[in-house]
Amino acid sequence: MKSGLDIDHVCALAHLHLTEQEKKVLAPQMAKIVEWVGRLDEIELPVPSEAPDFHLPFSLPFRADEVRESQPLESVLANAPEKDAPFIKVPKVIEEK
Amino acid sequence: MSLTSLGASEIRSLVAAKEVKAEEVVRAFLEQIERREPEVAAFLSVEGEKALEQAKALDRKKDKGCLAGVPIAVKDNILIKGMRVTCGSRILENYVAPYSASAVEKLAAEDAIFIGKTNLDEFAMGSSTENSAFFVTRNPWDLSRVPGGSSGGSAAAVAAGEAAAALGSDTGGSVRQPAAFCGVVGLKPTYSRVSRYGLVAFASSLDQIGPLTKTVEDCALLTQVISGPDGRDSTLADRPVPDFAKEMKEKLGPFKAAHLKEKLIEKIDPEVKNIYWKTLSVLQDLGGELIEMDFPSWEYALPCYYIIAPSEASSNLARYDGVRYGYRHPEYSNLREMYLKTRTGGFGEEVKRRILLGTFALSSGYYDAYYLKAGRTRQLVSREFDRAFAEVDYIVTPTAPEPAFPVGAKKDPIAMYLSDMFTVSANLAGCPAISVPCGWSREGLPVGLQVIGNHFQEGRLFQLAFLLEKKVKFGNNRNIINWKEER
Repeated sequence: MKSGLDIDHVCALAHLHLTEQEKKVLAPQMAKIVEWVGRLDEIELPVPSEAPDFHLPFSLPFRADEVRESQPLESVLANAPEKDAPFIKVPKVIEEK
Repeated sequence: MSLTSLGASEIRSLVAAKEVKAEEVVRAFLEQIERREPEVAAFLSVEGEKALEQAKALDRKKDKGCLAGVPIAVKDNILIKGMRVTCGSRILENYVAPYSASAVEKLAAEDAIFIGKTNLDEFAMGSSTENSAFFVTRNPWDLSRVPGGSSGGSAAAVAAGEAAAALGSDTGGSVRQPAAFCGVVGLKPTYSRVSRYGLVAFASSLDQIGPLTKTVEDCALLTQVISGPDGRDSTLADRPVPDFAKEMKEKLGPFKAAHLKEKLIEKIDPEVKNIYWKTLSVLQDLGGELIEMDFPSWEYALPCYYIIAPSEASSNLARYDGVRYGYRHPEYSNLREMYLKTRTGGFGEEVKRRILLGTFALSSGYYDAYYLKAGRTRQLVSREFDRAFAEVDYIVTPTAPEPAFPVGAKKDPIAMYLSDMFTVSANLAGCPAISVPCGWSREGLPVGLQVIGNHFQEGRLFQLAFLLEKKVKFGNNRNIINWKEER
């Protein structure tokens, strides 16, 4: 399996930045790991293909559709990095013209 | 005998009979922590004051629960309300849990005492606890070696007598492998047996909370308490939890156990292989019929796991963006830059590696070739287990391919991933699996046997593990206490 791993593209998708030095270490490691997991190509899977649902021999029940209490606002805000209660502050998203 | 050499069952009996006060128990364990922590470094935080308060209140209480006065250490990716939960990561360094995990609530309801939070590989990603953002935990049997991972802090704390029992989490072997490395008992319950509510998500279709204990009896006791529905985890099975302690002591009778073909264990440490073969003969002595079984997809389980787990992790860890909780990078000019700098500064190397791997496996153009293929391989692994359990009661393997390795010995990520070669299959198939100490290497390092059972057959696992424990006379880890004292 040809990996096709483009480290810059994947970093952008994952919202991560790697320095050139980190890339030098990580890119070859990643390529090696991708090649290693690509071993799955050796397996002959049954045809026709099935959706890869997680296989459990029992069904999982749905809970009753009822309103439940949520976390209290104060406890949620307590961990916010920046806040102006009852809001969490983030940088402006909509730019002014 | 010192209180810290006792297991959960023994302590609760003493406290229930009022032979010992819970406060005395907690003080003894806190003293042990003070003595051992400079060397072992199992805990990220110790909650001495809270634990003592809890113990004093318990001593005044009339009707005590089945874990009365048992000091329990909890892996730091499991929430205890009001305590920090770091996941071994800078990104959650100052996060305080706003609620408790379901498993924690169930233990608290039985009067267990939470003594502290234990070290782990960052977000449970690792097999040595070296990936913690804070420090490396040492193996109490040999301080130059790792305790295994990712629940290395929990395993080391129990082995060093710093806690009577502990909770860990197991996504690909993170309870069983450190249990084997530290000479304690560790169980990954059936997927959906124990609520994941309050366990910080790594790979949601694989994660399970499990106990690490000194004895099989303690393991059954803790599993009993933490299992069962809670209405807060939609993946929990709606089925009654049997009396594990009772099942454990039932007569085992003749049984069948599948063992792996030689080719699947040919590259493992020769001593581990030797101990594995010897333990198989012990199983025969216990009435077991051993069947060599071929699992054609076994060797693909690990690469399959290393696509599925990172893919789920890349999705689960997208929530750490500096908006609602956790670390936020102080300098940014817009929202995107805030995400980027926060995640880049907050995550460690292994977490980044797995996020990138998962992002790649799920990305457009590669999804079918990697994630879909891994999903289908997972089905094969599950079906092979189904076929095996139609014929046998157990599958037995070494827990890990080698005993505890030296700190810093594995620089290559794939070499580290191979530590999980025997454990990931049970996670992929959702089956329960236990690691029981079954011998020592010549260097005095513990070696574990993994026993895998069919879904919801934890009781059967305890039954065999209990007999095996008696037979190999590893028993609880009192030996280690003596050994450390003699050094």
